[in-house]
Amino acid sequence: MNDLSTQNSRRDFIKGVAGGTVALAGATALPALAAVSDKPKRYAMVIDTRRCVGCHACSVACKTENNVPLGETRSWVEYIEKGDFPNVGRSFLPRLCNQCEKPQCVSVCPTGATYKREEDGIIVVDADICIGCKYCLQACPYGARFINPATGAADKCDFCLHRVEQGLEPACVNTCQGRARIFGDINDPDSEVSRLLAKNSTTVLRPEMGTEPNVYYIDADHTDENTSSRTFGYVRIDTHRRQQRRV
Amino acid sequence: MYELHWGLPVILYLFLGGLGAGAGTVSASILLRGGGGDHPDGNFELARWGAFIAPVAVIVGTGMLVFELGSFEAGYWFRWINLFLVINLSPMSIGSWLLAFFILVSLGYAYTFLQGESRPGDQLHNLRKALAWIMVPLGIGVALYTGILLGAMPARPFWNSPILAMLFLVSALSTGVAIVILARALFGNSKHEDTGRGTYILASSDILLIGFEILVVFLFIMYAHLTFGQVETAVSVILGGELTNLFWLGFVVLGLMLPAAIEIKYIIPTLLYQKQYKVNQAAEILICALVLVGGFLLRYIVVIAGQVTGPVGI
Repeated sequence: MNDLSTQNSRRDFIKGVAGGTVALAGATALPALAAVSDKPKRYAMVIDTRRCVGCHACSVACKTENNVPLGETRSWVEYIEKGDFPNVGRSFLPRLCNQCEKPQCVSVCPTGATYKREEDGIIVVDADICIGCKYCLQACPYGARFINPATGAADKCDFCLHRVEQGLEPACVNTCQGRARIFGDINDPDSEVSRLLAKNSTTVLRPEMGTEPNVYYIDADHTDENTSSRTFGYVRIDTHRRQQRRV
Repeated sequence: MYELHWGLPVILYLFLGGLGAGAGTVSASILLRGGGGDHPDGNFELARWGAFIAPVAVIVGTGMLVFELGSFEAGYWFRWINLFLVINLSPMSIGSWLLAFFILVSLGYAYTFLQGESRPGDQLHNLRKALAWIMVPLGIGVALYTGILLGAMPARPFWNSPILAMLFLVSALSTGVAIVILARALFGNSKHEDTGRGTYILASSDILLIGFEILVVFLFIMYAHLTFGQVETAVSVILGGELTNLFWLGFVVLGLMLPAAIEIKYIIPTLLYQKQYKVNQAAEILICALVLVGGFLLRYIVVIAGQVTGPVGI
């Protein structure tokens, strides 16, 4: 839990030292470190589905942490069952807002209530500005958004911004039993997400939408009811949310 | 099934907004074509009907939209004002401003027809003509932006087509013509018996618009069907899917083919043999009612079909 904050402060310390070195020794300062430090943070998540057991602890932690209204979900785990006996399989696909590099929801928002934070890339909704027109709900290719009946505004996963700002991990990451969810800054080459991205082949969801998601999956099962029943025979997707089908 | 985030209020808005914008554009065009309406063929009366219908339809339609807002449902009744605190490149933002200007200008335009015995060449003549010049582009803008709004999202493959906005524009103009003819047929002053020419021009432009609409529908479906992947899957909802009958029997046959066929019967003698344009009131009302039903069904089918289909694969 304290990994991030200590890491951050250590980096800040190194930065400070590096800055001092620059001031003192001029051109002899470490160029690589200086180059890293002026890139803004880009928070991302790597989901290692090999370590997911489908326990829904992340979904529950998310609902508790963010007081998500009944019937709505910011994060959820889909079950994919496929095949005919004896060749059968079941895999798990944890889902959340992808915090896209090119967010469709942001480009359609008529009031500017939803925007991508420049400092860390997290997409947030200002509930005091949002009028609840549902344009972003239509535009999101991942069904990550919903209207919060209490505020009347669009709502979605924000990587637990209130926790991340305090140097904590998102609630789902913190609670994950198998450490299937790993969170960090992909602009920091030393972060665990950067190392995982470098060492593994990863995929994103619906890349053809051109949204460039910041949630990466290791060994994700991209089986979908719409496309794959031809190949596998029996395919069933259990979304474990009010929306019985993938949106 | 997928959820319908946008329901009847949005469908009614798309219909009424298109109809009002169409009626406004048509009214202003008629007026300007007659150099301010001082031709003896009843242009002015037709323009007057369009001018009255435009603001009413658009205001009622836009009012419907408010009921679909999450903020309104949650009790923040006037939060939609936030739309007018910014302007950005979202089609909805541009559309909101267009709608606001259209409502203002169309109210002023309707007012110039209200003043006492309004007639061509009265003291509001120049203002009326000036507002008519603004009404034409504004009306086209309002009719067009709704299709752009729906078409802006790759996540909705049924809508994500550059020709959807064109379809909405042609349908808006067609329903605009229909409502103007309908209003005159129902409530028109019978002393203007010699208005055959003005009605003929309108009816023949209606048949032209319906023809264009059939063409645009054909292009819309053909290109979607020739594509592979999610667009093809999405458009299959009207090509064998659950909205097939409503689309082909309701919209294409009842809303396009049938009124076109009836209208052609009355247009042909004038078009080909320069005979006096004669149409009985019942046929006029029937044609217009069918066109209006078709316009509503188009909005209904497009809004539903776009939401019950989505990206395929994950």
